[in-house]
Amino acid sequence: MLKEKENIGFKGGFNLSDTYPLRFCNIIERISSDGIPEVFEFRVPAQKIQHVIVNLCPTEPWALPNWVILEHKTSAFLNKLKEIKTRYLPEAGFYIVINKKEDEPVSAVKDYACNAEWMKVFAVDAKYPQDDPVMLSKVVLDIEMDFGQDTMTQGVLILDAQTVTAIYENCMLGNKVDSRFIALSGTGLKENEIINVQLGTSLEKILRNRIKESGTYRVFVNGPLHGREITDLSQKMDWSINNIVVLEELGKKVMFPMFKSDELVLTTNMLGELRRCVYCNFCDDICPVDLEPALYYHSYKRGEKHKARLYNLEKCIECGLCSFICPSKLELLQIIKECKALDKQK
Amino acid sequence: MKKLTKPIEPIIGKSLDRVESIIHTHPTVNFLFGALFGAFDGLLRGAKETTQTQPFIRNNYDVKRFMGAVLVALVIGWVLPALYFFGWQCVVSKLLVSFIIGVFVVDVLWAIIAREDHISEGGFVSCLLIPAILPPQSPLWLVGLGAALAILFRNVLGGVGNNLVNPALFSRLFLTICFPSLLVTGYQTPFVGMPDLHSFRYGLDAVTHATPLTAFKTNGEVASYFSLLVGTSGGSLGETCRLALILSGLWLIKIRVVNWRIPVSYLGSVLVFSVFLSLIMGKAVAPPLFQILSGGLILGAFYMATDPITATYNQAAKWIYGAGCGFITVLIRDFTTLPEGVMYSILLMNLLAIPIQSLMVKIKYRT
Repeated sequence: MLKEKENIGFKGGFNLSDTYPLRFCNIIERISSDGIPEVFEFRVPAQKIQHVIVNLCPTEPWALPNWVILEHKTSAFLNKLKEIKTRYLPEAGFYIVINKKEDEPVSAVKDYACNAEWMKVFAVDAKYPQDDPVMLSKVVLDIEMDFGQDTMTQGVLILDAQTVTAIYENCMLGNKVDSRFIALSGTGLKENEIINVQLGTSLEKILRNRIKESGTYRVFVNGPLHGREITDLSQKMDWSINNIVVLEELGKKVMFPMFKSDELVLTTNMLGELRRCVYCNFCDDICPVDLEPALYYHSYKRGEKHKARLYNLEKCIECGLCSFICPSKLELLQIIKECKALDKQK
Repeated sequence: MKKLTKPIEPIIGKSLDRVESIIHTHPTVNFLFGALFGAFDGLLRGAKETTQTQPFIRNNYDVKRFMGAVLVALVIGWVLPALYFFGWQCVVSKLLVSFIIGVFVVDVLWAIIAREDHISEGGFVSCLLIPAILPPQSPLWLVGLGAALAILFRNVLGGVGNNLVNPALFSRLFLTICFPSLLVTGYQTPFVGMPDLHSFRYGLDAVTHATPLTAFKTNGEVASYFSLLVGTSGGSLGETCRLALILSGLWLIKIRVVNWRIPVSYLGSVLVFSVFLSLIMGKAVAPPLFQILSGGLILGAFYMATDPITATYNQAAKWIYGAGCGFITVLIRDFTTLPEGVMYSILLMNLLAIPIQSLMVKIKYRT
C-alpha cells in the first residue's frame, strides 16, 4: 500500500540538500579500532510495540545516504525486514518512509508493496526535519508525541536502514556486528567519503589525514543543525553516531562576501551581523510545527521568560531552523531552550 | 566579478584591518568614527563572529541583504521611471540631499551622541522613500528636512526594530502639517515622448497640474487608466509609474522580503469597499479601478504598509491590518475634504497594529 503526500503534516521545513549539495566518494574504506571493538546488540523492547517506522528518507545532505545500506537492492532489504517482523514483532504494523525523489527505491518499494499487506509505504518530500521522531509519528501514524519523549512509551519503534540490517545480521544470522557506516563530509575535509568504522574507534583516528592542513576546523557529530560539537577528539565511536561533519571555522572577515556565497556556505561563520528583530516572518514561515519563534524572543527580551510558555513552547522540536534562517542572526533556539528550562524548574 | 576583485582584496583587507586597529586603540577616534567605519566595513566585508550554539551553520541571508533587496526594488520601481519623467536634475539632487542629510549627518551624529555601535541599513530605505512621497517640485531643503526628521524620529524610538510607525510617512505627516502649501503644489506634469538633452535634465519644467485625485475632488474628472498605470499623469515623484512599482513589488514578494498578505489585503479591501460604495452612491465616489491606480496607493501597499517592523508579526493579523488600511484609505478619499488618504491610513494602522497583534495572538493561543 503506497501513500504519497505533498508536504505532509506541516507547511514549513527546509530543503537542505538544495542549499548544500554534497556528493560522496563511492569507495568505502574500512577503519579498525585499536582496542577491542564494542558489539552492537539488539534486545526486543520490554514495552509492547504496535508500530514500527523504518525511515529510509534522511533529510540532511550530510547524513548517511541510503545507497550505502540498500546497495540498490531494496527488495532484498524488505525481505530481511519481513523476516525480522515474523520472528520478533509479528503483531506490529510496519511503515516505510521513503524519499519520493529517489527513483530506484521508490519503484522497488512500490513493486514490493503490491504483494505485501504487512507494510505501508509513505513517499515524502525530503525536507528537514521530516525525519525527526515527533514529525514522523505525527505524519505517519497521526500520534502526537512530545519532544524528547521516548517513542517506545507510545508503542512506536523508529529504525533506520542501518539498524535494520544490523538487527538482521545479529539476531537472524547470529553474526557479530561491531562496525557501522559513517558519512564524513564538510568543508574542513579533503574529500567527502563514507567509511566503515569499528565501534570504539576514537574520532581522532577516523579524522587523521582526512582534514585539510590549512585553517582551523570544528567537528560535529550527527550534523551541524541539531548535532553536538566535539572538542575532545579522543571520544570513542558508538552506534548513535550517524555522520561526522567537519567545518571550516572561518572566524575572520571575508572581503566582498556577496560574490563568494559558494566559499562561505557550510562554515561556522555567522554570515551576517547581529541586529534587532525586524519581524520578517522568516522564522514562523520555516517552523515545521507552526510556532512563532519571534514571540519567544520578544518575551525573553522583555524579561518575561515565563510568558513564552503561553505560546505552545512545549511543541518545539528544537530543529534549529529558526536560528538557521534568522537574518538578524538571533540565537532563537538558545532562547527557546532557556525558556523551556525555566518551565522544568517550576 | 570574483576575478575583478581578487587583486585588490589583500590591499583593501590590510588597510581596513589597520584602520580598525587604530580605531580600537584610540577611544576618541572610536567615539567619533567607530560607527561610520563599522557601517563602511560591513558593506565590504563579512562578519567575524562564529556560531557558538546550536545550530552551528547559518543561512547566507542577513538584514543587509534584506534591506538591499528593498533598495534595488525601489530604484527599479521609482528612481528609474522618475529619471525619465521628471529629469535627472530633479531626481538625483533630491536623492543626494536625502541621503547626505538623513544617513550621513543625522544618523552618524545620532550614533556618536547615543553611542550606538553601528549605523542601521534601514536608514537608506527611509531616505530613498522620502523624495518619492514629496511633490517633484518640492524644494531641496524640504527633502532634507524630511529625511532628517524621519531618521531622527526613528532613532528616538530606539532605532530599526523598535519604531512604532513608518518613519518616512511620519516625516511626511510632519511636513504636511508644517508646510501645507508646499505639499499641495509643485506637482510637475511628467514628460512624455522621446527624451532630448533638455528633457532628460529637467523633464517638462515649470508645468504643474493638479494630481488626478485632486482633479477628481474638484471637478469630478477621471484620468485615463493607461496614463495612471504607465506614469504619464501627475503625482508625487515616486508614485506615478505604477507599472514599475507593481513589477518590483512582485519581485519582492517572490524573494519573500515583502509578505504577500499585506498588498493583497490592502488592494483587495480598497477594491471591495470602493465597489460597494460606488454601487450605493454612484458617481459621487471615485470609481474602483481609479482608486486603486491613483495616488500613492500602489507605492503604499507594496513598500510602506509592508514595512515588517511597523506591520503586525502574526500572519492572520496581517489580513486585518491590510484590510484596515484599505478601509481607512477609501473612507478618507471619499468622505473627507482630503484628496488622498494612504498616508493617514498606514500611519493609523501602524499604531493599531499593536492591539491587533496581541488580540490575534490571544485568539491563536487561547491565553
